[in-house]
Amino acid sequence: MIRVISFCFKLSPFRFLFFASCFLLSSCGKNSSPKFNQYYVQGESLYLRHCSNCHQKDGSGLRRVYPPLNTSDYMQQNFEAVICLIRYGKNGGLMINGQQFNQPMKGIASLSDLEIAEITTYIYNTWTHEKGLVEVKDVSVILNNCQPVR
Amino acid sequence: MNQFIKHLSVRIISFLFFACCLLLASCTRQKEQKLPVFGEKEITGSDTLYHTIGNFKLVDQDSALVTQETLRGKIYVADFFFTSCRTICPIMKTQMLRVYESVQNDPEVLLVSHTIDPEYDTVALLHDYAERLGVKSDKWHFLTGAKDSIYYLAQTSYFATAMEDETDPDGFIHSGAFLLIDKKGRIRGKYDGTKETDVNQLLKDIEILKKEG
Repeated sequence: MIRVISFCFKLSPFRFLFFASCFLLSSCGKNSSPKFNQYYVQGESLYLRHCSNCHQKDGSGLRRVYPPLNTSDYMQQNFEAVICLIRYGKNGGLMINGQQFNQPMKGIASLSDLEIAEITTYIYNTWTHEKGLVEVKDVSVILNNCQPVR
Repeated sequence: MNQFIKHLSVRIISFLFFACCLLLASCTRQKEQKLPVFGEKEITGSDTLYHTIGNFKLVDQDSALVTQETLRGKIYVADFFFTSCRTICPIMKTQMLRVYESVQNDPEVLLVSHTIDPEYDTVALLHDYAERLGVKSDKWHFLTGAKDSIYYLAQTSYFATAMEDETDPDGFIHSGAFLLIDKKGRIRGKYDGTKETDVNQLLKDIEILKKEG
C-alpha cells in the first residue's frame, strides 16, 4: 500500500490526477460488479435476438409503429409493467413520450425469469437509462403479480 | 536532346496508359448498365417474350382498387409481409423506409407491400400502419385482398415464398425479398430486404433502370 502511494507521489501531478480520477470513476460506477456485467452481456444478446427487430439495435423504435426504448417516459414510470409485458405481451394503446402507439406486442413466453432480468438489466442501463442491476428475485416477484393482459 | 526525347516518350506512354484505363473503365460501366430480366423467356421468331407480373385485383390502405394497370409504366419495388410479424418484417420495413425516403419525390417509382395475412391486416389496419410509418398512399401501396390470390400472385408472378405454416410462431412463412419490377412488369432484380448492403444495391439498380426510360 505504502509502495503504491509513494509510487503515486512520484508521478507528475497531471499523471497522478489522471490515475486518481480513473480510480474514483471505476469505484463509483455501481454497475461494474461481475454479476451486473454477466446480466448485461447476456441481456444484450437476448435483446438482439428477441427485441431489436422491432425496437431496433439502437432502441430508437420505428416511427409511430414500434415505440422507442432509448428515451422513454413509459419505461421510467412503469418498471413493473415493462417486465410483465416482456412475458405476457401488450395490446397496443400506449402513450410514450406524448405519442400514442397502437401496435400489439406478443409476449415471449419462452423467456425464463432470469432471462427477463437480464433483458431488463440491459435495456434499463443502455442509451439514457442507468437503473443498475435488476435482480432475478425481484423480477420473479413482479412476474407473479402481473395483471392479465387487457 | 536525347533526354528530351526520353522524357517525351515517357509522357506519351503514360498518357496512352491512362487513356486505355479510361476506355476500359467506360466499357465495363456500359456493360453493367443493363439489369438482367428474371424468369423464363419465350422466343417467337424475332421477338423475345419475358416473364411478367400477372393480372391481379387488390385494394390498398385507402380502399382504392390496385391492379396491374395501376402499376403499368412505373418502376416499383414489391415485397410480402404482415403487420403482426416479429421476425423479418420489421427489418424489411426499416429497409423499405430507406427506399421510400430515396424515391419519395420521384414520380417514376412506387412501392408495393402485400400482406400475407389479409384476415388480420384489413384496410383499416393497413391505413393506420401506413400512417404510423408516415408514408403517403400514392407512393407506397399496402395491398390486401383474398388470401389465395395474394399467395398465387406471390408464388407464380414474383417467385416469392408466401404461405401459412402452423409450426412457425407467427403462423406464416415468407421470403424477405424485395423485387424490382420495370415499367413493362418484368422482374429486374431480387434483393434480401433484411440486408442493408442488398438494399444499397437496389437503390443503385433503380437508377440504372430509370435510364432505360
